[in-house]
Amino acid sequence: MDCLLEGNCVKAFGKAVHALSRIGDELWLDPMVRGLALRSVNSAHSAYACFLFSPLFFQHYSLGPVSEQGSETIKCKLLMKSVLPLFRCLTSIERNVERCQISISTPSDRVIIQFFCRHGITKTHNLSFQESEALQAVFASHLCPNVLKAPARLLGDMVMHFPVSQEEITLSMTPLSVSLRNYYEGGNDHMKTMYTEMSLHLDEFDYFQVGVDSDITFCLKELRGLLSFAETHCLPVSVHFGAAGRPVCFSVEDMVLEATVVLATLIDSESTGPSQQTETLAPTTPRCAEAAVLPVGSCEANSRKHQGVPAVMELIPSSQGSPIISPPALMLLVPQTDNPNGLGEPDEACASATTTPASSTICSLLFRALSSEQDSDGCAARLPVLAYYSDGEENMEEDYTRSPSL
Amino acid sequence: MPLSTQSQADDEQYVLVASLDNARCLSNILKAITFKDHAIFSATPNGLKVTVEDSKCLQANAFIQAEIFQEFTIREDLVGFQVNLTVLLDCLNIFGGSTVPGVSTALRMCYRGYGYPLTLFLEEGGVVTVCKINTQEPEEPIDFEFCSTNVTNKVILLSESLKEAFSELDMTSEVLQITMSPSQPYFRLSTFGNSGNAHYDYPKDSDMMELFRCTKTQTNRYKMSLLKPSTKALALSCKVSVRTDSRGFLSLQYLVRNDDGQICFVEFYCCPDEEVE
Repeated sequence: MDCLLEGNCVKAFGKAVHALSRIGDELWLDPMVRGLALRSVNSAHSAYACFLFSPLFFQHYSLGPVSEQGSETIKCKLLMKSVLPLFRCLTSIERNVERCQISISTPSDRVIIQFFCRHGITKTHNLSFQESEALQAVFASHLCPNVLKAPARLLGDMVMHFPVSQEEITLSMTPLSVSLRNYYEGGNDHMKTMYTEMSLHLDEFDYFQVGVDSDITFCLKELRGLLSFAETHCLPVSVHFGAAGRPVCFSVEDMVLEATVVLATLIDSESTGPSQQTETLAPTTPRCAEAAVLPVGSCEANSRKHQGVPAVMELIPSSQGSPIISPPALMLLVPQTDNPNGLGEPDEACASATTTPASSTICSLLFRALSSEQDSDGCAARLPVLAYYSDGEENMEEDYTRSPSL
Repeated sequence: MPLSTQSQADDEQYVLVASLDNARCLSNILKAITFKDHAIFSATPNGLKVTVEDSKCLQANAFIQAEIFQEFTIREDLVGFQVNLTVLLDCLNIFGGSTVPGVSTALRMCYRGYGYPLTLFLEEGGVVTVCKINTQEPEEPIDFEFCSTNVTNKVILLSESLKEAFSELDMTSEVLQITMSPSQPYFRLSTFGNSGNAHYDYPKDSDMMELFRCTKTQTNRYKMSLLKPSTKALALSCKVSVRTDSRGFLSLQYLVRNDDGQICFVEFYCCPDEEVE
């Protein structure tokens, strides 16, 4: 892969890296025919972001020679702390950088980022990368009952009122208004907290759709990067969400780029314990009577408040056309299986859902294809995915016209 | 000014008296070389030289010519002593180092000679402070034997082009590699860190390159920990000359303009890292 960005685009690219650095510690570079995708996911797998730059964004964009194995282009994973410093000072980039060339060199396992600056100065960075499966989330935003489209600065202006340390906020939507308020876990000293709430009439938004009244609570810190990006580029922000517990998707787009952040939301506070029933909203699937909620935290050392919080997701049917299922989910990175039916038949499995020691299960699913044999209690089938490794990019594009991959 | 009301008789006991209306002319330059606690002061009729060394591999010198001082009286050919530089800087900034325009700290630095402390009279807004800093036997500064006849490669760059590079240097790299060559890449700074390597190339025809005189291709590595402190001097300077000699020793000379537009120099000498070819 080889691409060239000119002046202003370098700054936009850098801003995207900043936004992604708010999400996770690693940056996935995925050069595709339809553009270069930069993605990141947090360690708890409760936040995912993707910035897709179309070939038009670049002065020059080429995927390079097709390898013998097929149309696979190399997909790399870089450490955020290697990439972020290169774009740290955006004002100096704006001042000094005339062009930036990014290329992936397979023989040397390096991503080469070269800045051509004023006065003939050239800065070349050779970053080592890890080859990786693509990280990709599929989120059926068109199936979300609630939609908001906010003018560029609106959300940014709203969240400005919350302190930088504020972890989570709650967004509420009713047919009359939208409100944002800060969220504190019960048990905190109520005397010391400052509650902030602001409401907006739905007229403030460019577009709205109220499917269900809902209150969703999600992490604000991970969103700030995207809001800042939207503000800089004067892009309206679209929000797609549903009931509490389902993920919320924030996205911006223009002619040459699309950016998306998908965040898990807290389950309704009435629910208790790990074994919870979550509403499924998929219109066509049988409901899972008793669905397990698998704690995210058991796998990760630094799980945060989203422990035990599922992101209810829908699996997009594979090209074999298996039904859509909506088991309660946590976000997982799972390679697409050759046997989609293994994932696509939850009915029997769901009925006998039990909580499982998630750690071994989750970890074993990460970045490895699901085998058609399920493990002993069949929980492999029930574990839903938010992000999965998409092997057949082309198949996806033709079949998933309704379900954009991010 | 209160400092000038001291009797002339007092002055005869001092071998060195140096006065500045604005102590910042001295303190700013000294900050650029404060990477170690102790500094060797050598005063000659030409002015003041302050030397700081690190592990016998790095030497930094700050030169403040006699003309910079409002008064510079020296009764011997060479006056030398060693003081704690951190303490000296604290004293020079004793009034808080405010940047209110028009308000400055005046300094009168006096030294009686061997065995006596360095006496500083500092005044700001009518308030006078007297500081006496103990002096030590001055160590002999290392002679790096760097002479112009041995210089193989020399460039002079405008500091603004290097400032960004130095502030961005990958600190996980143990060395800073400097390549100078009459052909591509002409002048290159390289680092080799945990995430990969980085190269900063300055072509010989760049407008930031004021002078380019390279006779042969040389690549040398220097310990990053030794060179990183030079970033402070770079930040103060407007121009820097980079020279290497046939042994690979590095000389960095920074031209610093003080608040009054007068010129001082700071130079760094550094030995190449052992592992180099």
